[in-house]
Amino acid sequence: MKAALKKEIDGIIKSYDGTHGSLLGILEEIQKRNPHNYLPEKTLAYTAKKTGIPPAKVYGVVTFYSFFSLIPQGKHCISICRGTACHTKGSRKLLDYLRSSFEFEGDTGGDAKLFITTKDRYLTVRTVACFGQCALAPVIEVDGKIYGSVTVEELKKILKKLKGSRQ
Amino acid sequence: MTQKQLRIKINGDTYLMYEGQSVLEACRSAGINIPNLCYLEGVSRRASCGICVVEIEGARTLVRSCVTPIREGIEIFTNTGRVRKARHTNIKLLLANHPRNCLECDKNRQCELQKLSDDLDVRDTSYPKIRKKHYDIDASSPSLTRDHEKCILCARCVEVCSQVQSVDAIEIAERGMEAHVSTFFNKGLDASECVNCGQCLLVCPTGALMAKHETGSVWKAIDEPGRHVVVQAAPAIRAAIGEEFGFEAGMPLTGTLAAALRKMGFDRVFDTQFTADLTIIEEGNELISRIKNKGVLPLITSCSPGWIRFAETFFPKLLPNLSTCKSPQQMFGTLAKTYYAEKMNIDPSKITVVSVMPCTAKKFEARRPEMNSAAEYWRNKGRRLPGGTRDVDSVITTRELADMIRESGIDFARLTGEKFDEPFGISTGAGTIFGATGGVMEAALRTAYAELTGKSLKDLNLKAVRGMGGVREASVDINGLTLKVAVAHGLKNAREVMEQVSKGKSPYHFIEIMTCPGGCIGGGGQPVPATTDVREKRIKAVYSEDESMPLRESHKNPAVIALYDEFLKEPLSGVSHSMLHTEYSRRDLYPGI
Ligand code: SF4
Ligand code: SF4
Ligand code: SF4
Ligand code: FES
Ligand code: FES
Repeated sequence: MKAALKKEIDGIIKSYDGTHGSLLGILEEIQKRNPHNYLPEKTLAYTAKKTGIPPAKVYGVVTFYSFFSLIPQGKHCISICRGTACHTKGSRKLLDYLRSSFEFEGDTGGDAKLFITTKDRYLTVRTVACFGQCALAPVIEVDGKIYGSVTVEELKKILKKLKGSRQ
Repeated sequence: MTQKQLRIKINGDTYLMYEGQSVLEACRSAGINIPNLCYLEGVSRRASCGICVVEIEGARTLVRSCVTPIREGIEIFTNTGRVRKARHTNIKLLLANHPRNCLECDKNRQCELQKLSDDLDVRDTSYPKIRKKHYDIDASSPSLTRDHEKCILCARCVEVCSQVQSVDAIEIAERGMEAHVSTFFNKGLDASECVNCGQCLLVCPTGALMAKHETGSVWKAIDEPGRHVVVQAAPAIRAAIGEEFGFEAGMPLTGTLAAALRKMGFDRVFDTQFTADLTIIEEGNELISRIKNKGVLPLITSCSPGWIRFAETFFPKLLPNLSTCKSPQQMFGTLAKTYYAEKMNIDPSKITVVSVMPCTAKKFEARRPEMNSAAEYWRNKGRRLPGGTRDVDSVITTRELADMIRESGIDFARLTGEKFDEPFGISTGAGTIFGATGGVMEAALRTAYAELTGKSLKDLNLKAVRGMGGVREASVDINGLTLKVAVAHGLKNAREVMEQVSKGKSPYHFIEIMTCPGGCIGGGGQPVPATTDVREKRIKAVYSEDESMPLRESHKNPAVIALYDEFLKEPLSGVSHSMLHTEYSRRDLYPGI
């Protein structure tokens, strides 16, 4: 592991300075700063060592919350709800549209627990079981922001905006 | 401080119970059993199984009795239609995700889930299986296997590994239908912090955690014509084997054990207590030499392989503090294939060494690459033993031995006691007490005192180092030297003691550490259940056995004296070093970080 990364993690841990229940915050911050928005194994092992929290416990936490990722994610991330309400209101079409507009790596089809990223690491698409916002179906989440009653047209607009954002 | 008493009602009857008790505990002391699958006294209160539900007057919903404290005037109902129905539902939900192939399962007839289903008269389940992910059986560890399909996610193993052992090798990963017990990144147990102690499998209510079996290879060796199969039985076996055959816990059955082993067909029936005595001589001298020569102190015992692995993983800088003595099991294996082979004129390649151990970590220890000193001994004499020769060939647990006794058709309870064979069957009371926490310390002090003063301790019973306290300390005056010692059992207590050593603040000369609570009598290979109460009874058996022995000091063991005369020459000699001592190495689980 690179010294610079270790230093960065040390800094994040220090900024939380042992506050109770700080592990979640620390991990979130580390993932955010990762260029591919995920938590590599070595990073987690190092975080465990530095926080004194056993590695298995850290792993338990990371796998419990869906906003942590153990595999590289694209620059942008779209989560599509495949719950019953959203399915009835056409969330499938949104997924199909994304599949037809981008070239994903390792896409074996299907849509339960989907987690696919484009070859150029531009976009990650995943499915979730239900956002708990069924009244707004179909619901998607784009880079952490929830959109309701999304149509394919609207999705196109969102994608265009992402392209322009160049963050 | 006297504890406050509360007046409570259970099923209409009034009881006085202590404040702080849970509803489940209070009912239990009133003689009312509440079924439970995840609760573990003093260790786990995760309340995940929902089997222990009861009705409380005035409460709208049923409550989980394992985590509900009693209060003044509480009215508890443990056996209402509503309670029964909820328990049925919860068991059926568990069974829906369960393989239910008891006949093929190692835990058959000892399984809490099976027994509970039977007790509650649940025969089938109408619920669909909701678990989707499949995980292969983790068989990476030489000591135990983990089968997710049979796991009911009670988390007892997780809590024991954390709260009792402070190893934290496992945790529940993911959630809902995907939840499973996992090591870091689901690497196998063998690649994790796991120290092979088996404390988790002692508390697992199902067959999800099982010890690796070696009975097949033992039968094969016994059946092979021309093979000389010797067996060694660890001190803790005699204090617990009876439990497998309906005896009360705490009944020492040394003679019966020897008789059973002989009937099973072993060629020689030996006693690990012999090499326990030998360990005391070597380790005692190591201590004296370290004190005299200002060597690394405190000296820490090395006979518990789970503890060794723990030290290699968590305290690599302190490995020089560990005694270089091999454990009695490994000393035995080495000597059986060298000294004994030569003395009895038996071809060492024809000897199979089987150990009966109370311990799952002993299976790991026997497989450590460096545990092949006999092969080395013969190589130096120009003789090559077959590739892969180990000092100890097979290690079976107390439970596996009981299985084999049953399979042999031996009526254990009706056997007449017999003696162990000579020469490796001769031992002293000091060897016996190796089985209990504090025993190695007591045995070592008996001999060290005699070595340094020329006379035996006035009272051989060193009560200060006995008992179940997590960390116990004592000082003994020997010829003007005040020897300070400590004893720890259970790795959480060991960690505490080690942190003190780490900081350079340890006041002790000598520390005994045992991996399992209670010492070897509470090992992961022992009969189930192994509650604290049962462990205490086994310890009593160990000390009563010690008192009944004619010799109670290791240095008085005539077979050990002969071994030095004929083979080893003197303690810590060159031969001793190559045969009886070993070394340790740091375990880096996460290289490069
Ligand atoms: S774990 Fe228990 S209930 Fe399950 S198959 Fe084995 S014996 Fe039967
Ligand atoms: S064998 Fe011991 S160290 Fe390994 S997982 Fe079980 S309790 Fe933890
Ligand atoms: S492996 Fe056994 S003790 Fe551990 S969670 Fe599963 S059922 Fe419980
Ligand atoms: S089904 Fe999509 S938000 Fe609930
Ligand atoms: S024993 Fe109380 S919830 Fe499992």
